[in-house]
Amino acid sequence: MVAAAMTALLPATAEAYIGPGAGFAVLGSFAVLFVTMLLAGVSILAWPFRTLWRMVRRRRKAKPLVKRVVFLGFDGQDARITERMMAEGKLPNLSRLAERGGYRRLRTTFPSITPVAWSSFSTGTNPGRHNIFDFLDRDPRTYLPRLSSAHIGSVDRFLKLGKLRIPLAKPDIRLLRKSKPWWTILGEHNIWSTVIRVPITFPPDRFYGAQLGAMCIPDLLGTQGTFLYFTTRNESADFQEGGVRVALEPNGADNRLEATVEGPENAFFEGNPPMRLPLVLEVDRDAASARVSVDGSTIELARGQLSDWVRLDFKAVPGMKVSGLTRLMLTEAGEHVSLYMSPINIEPGKPAMPISHPSYYSAYLEKKIGPFATLGLAEDTWALNEKVTDDGTFWAQTQDVDAEREQMLDLALDRLRSGALVTVFDATDRVNHMYWRYIDDGHPAARGVVEPEYADAIERQYRRNDAIVGRVMDKLGDDDVLFVLSDHGCTSFRRGVNLNAWLLEQGYLALRDGADGTESWLQSVDWSKTRAYAVGLVGIFLNIRGREAQGIVEPDAEVAALKAEIADKLRGLVDPETGDVAINEAFDTDVLYRGPYKGNAPDLLMGYNHGYRISWDCASGVVAGPVFSDNVKAWSGDHIVDPRLVPGILLSNRAITSDDPHIVDLAPTVLTLFGVEPAPHMDGQPLLDTTRLGGR
Amino acid sequence: MFKTTKVKLDSSLVERVRKFAEIAGYSSPEEFITHALEKELALLEDAGDEEEIKKRLQGLGYMS
Repeated sequence: MVAAAMTALLPATAEAYIGPGAGFAVLGSFAVLFVTMLLAGVSILAWPFRTLWRMVRRRRKAKPLVKRVVFLGFDGQDARITERMMAEGKLPNLSRLAERGGYRRLRTTFPSITPVAWSSFSTGTNPGRHNIFDFLDRDPRTYLPRLSSAHIGSVDRFLKLGKLRIPLAKPDIRLLRKSKPWWTILGEHNIWSTVIRVPITFPPDRFYGAQLGAMCIPDLLGTQGTFLYFTTRNESADFQEGGVRVALEPNGADNRLEATVEGPENAFFEGNPPMRLPLVLEVDRDAASARVSVDGSTIELARGQLSDWVRLDFKAVPGMKVSGLTRLMLTEAGEHVSLYMSPINIEPGKPAMPISHPSYYSAYLEKKIGPFATLGLAEDTWALNEKVTDDGTFWAQTQDVDAEREQMLDLALDRLRSGALVTVFDATDRVNHMYWRYIDDGHPAARGVVEPEYADAIERQYRRNDAIVGRVMDKLGDDDVLFVLSDHGCTSFRRGVNLNAWLLEQGYLALRDGADGTESWLQSVDWSKTRAYAVGLVGIFLNIRGREAQGIVEPDAEVAALKAEIADKLRGLVDPETGDVAINEAFDTDVLYRGPYKGNAPDLLMGYNHGYRISWDCASGVVAGPVFSDNVKAWSGDHIVDPRLVPGILLSNRAITSDDPHIVDLAPTVLTLFGVEPAPHMDGQPLLDTTRLGGR
Repeated sequence: MFKTTKVKLDSSLVERVRKFAEIAGYSSPEEFITHALEKELALLEDAGDEEEIKKRLQGLGYMS
């Protein structure tokens, strides 16, 4: 009670901190309700004054040429598939849009991956100016990977009260994407934007508008998505990608099993023990069903059926809890019993972290549409990769997340009288990744599969996107501009390339005495003899003296020559098993990028050919094993290739003036449409002829 | 997270920053100053707990 009382008395929204790992700022339930209502009340009362103040303060006037600009983003929608389906008449709304305005392939960023490409969309800049080069960066002090987009710090100041310790500060949570997004610039000109799930908006931007964050919002465990698998099976092997096994133990009767759900770490106690919830499962083997009781909820589950969202409240101290959302599925109900629990999403109604701007926007959305996924990578690709779930479950998850997003879009579009709206749908990318094996004859991940039920999953997804576009087109007027775009395309991922194994083979990387290279995170590497190494997904770093902690490559004398030497060897690298070229080119990022952050980029960027990508082992820092290997995982399509092979799409209801548009062009385009001069730091060029827009 | 604070800087320094921010590709003088300070701080701050770093990456999928 002391903790609760102190927390309530703490200034600045009465936040307290839970778990250095997760970095969660939790609000007590009473405090949440009180503060939310207070904020809402103050917000309403202050609205006229704020409007007046904005008008006075923001003297910069803009003369918009249009009423509304709407972006529909379909992450990963491939140009080749789109064009084929349009030609076959399967995407009537996209065809209608292309006829009315235009269609172009959209050049993507180097590398062609979501966090980089959408950051360029947001800021209108190349990666050298927005600082996102990969999902992962590496810490040159430790050589360990780290998230490139967000820094989540920990709290080290506490007030100790016996066993309790009260955090005296909030964790430092920072967005590492730099430069300035177009919605911030529009806001400076008093133009509203609603930004829904554009990747790399965690923590959210603060601007004149509303934003729901996306990639890389963590789950309640502080990870990028960890599913839990409760099972009576006596298996101890770790999942390779993001899952944890938990033992289901008998409790008195053969059909009654129990386990503990371990939630976020509790920083109120020394050692940050996890907050726990008991879970009881009563199985009916004859009916292949179960009743699951957790945190006061009882859920009836039929085997193979995914539950609705289940709310979990983890109690930190009396009066304080951390709330999450999860979905359950009974996967086995026979000799063995197993239960899948999806990653526990941050509850949008009481967010334990800043996931939206204003902070109550996520709660507003939940009030309007019900509970929804908040995790950055919301679709649980890893449970499917690990065969814990199946094609049907994954399909249901992606469609449900898409449906939630569609509701958010409808809500925002109906309310938007003037300004910009952007909504990004992720399902296309995830469906491409997970079902590509069914559209690529001979894919190693589909060997032995006959007439798969989800062979047409990708086409179904593209048709669904087309229907969304059609509905939005019908809602827009003559003064509105619509863009439909994707950030990159997709291709087959048949074979993995272990760059570190190749570097070892070529003598650029050395192992410690006695190490065999099987350790993850490059723990086997002898840095004092290593000149180049691969961390992350897209490239190679040189081990440069003065930059890396144990660098040996001289920055001035050796870097350029070594980069050229490695690039020469990698250009046209042939996979001896297939005879195919695996790497088209290794690009020198010093030439690719311009801007103050280009020094943070990998030194060489890989341009893989169709069918190839960095191997799973290399991505986790394993050096041992062959350079080339088959990819037999469900994650069978990818776009971490030569970006020229996987362009995105761009359609508009206005004529597109450029024949070769680039994703950086969208930011200056939207500014121009609202009568705002494109910012000098932007690399892109406006794509529409504003003299032919008609004006308002 | 979103809080900002004011720091007094020599006005001639700010002028120089303003002049070169755009040339260097920053979106504002504030971004230039922030980047310069972050680079210096990175040399002083420790790298953090290794296990904690690995845990946070879990679920990115590419990691084990």
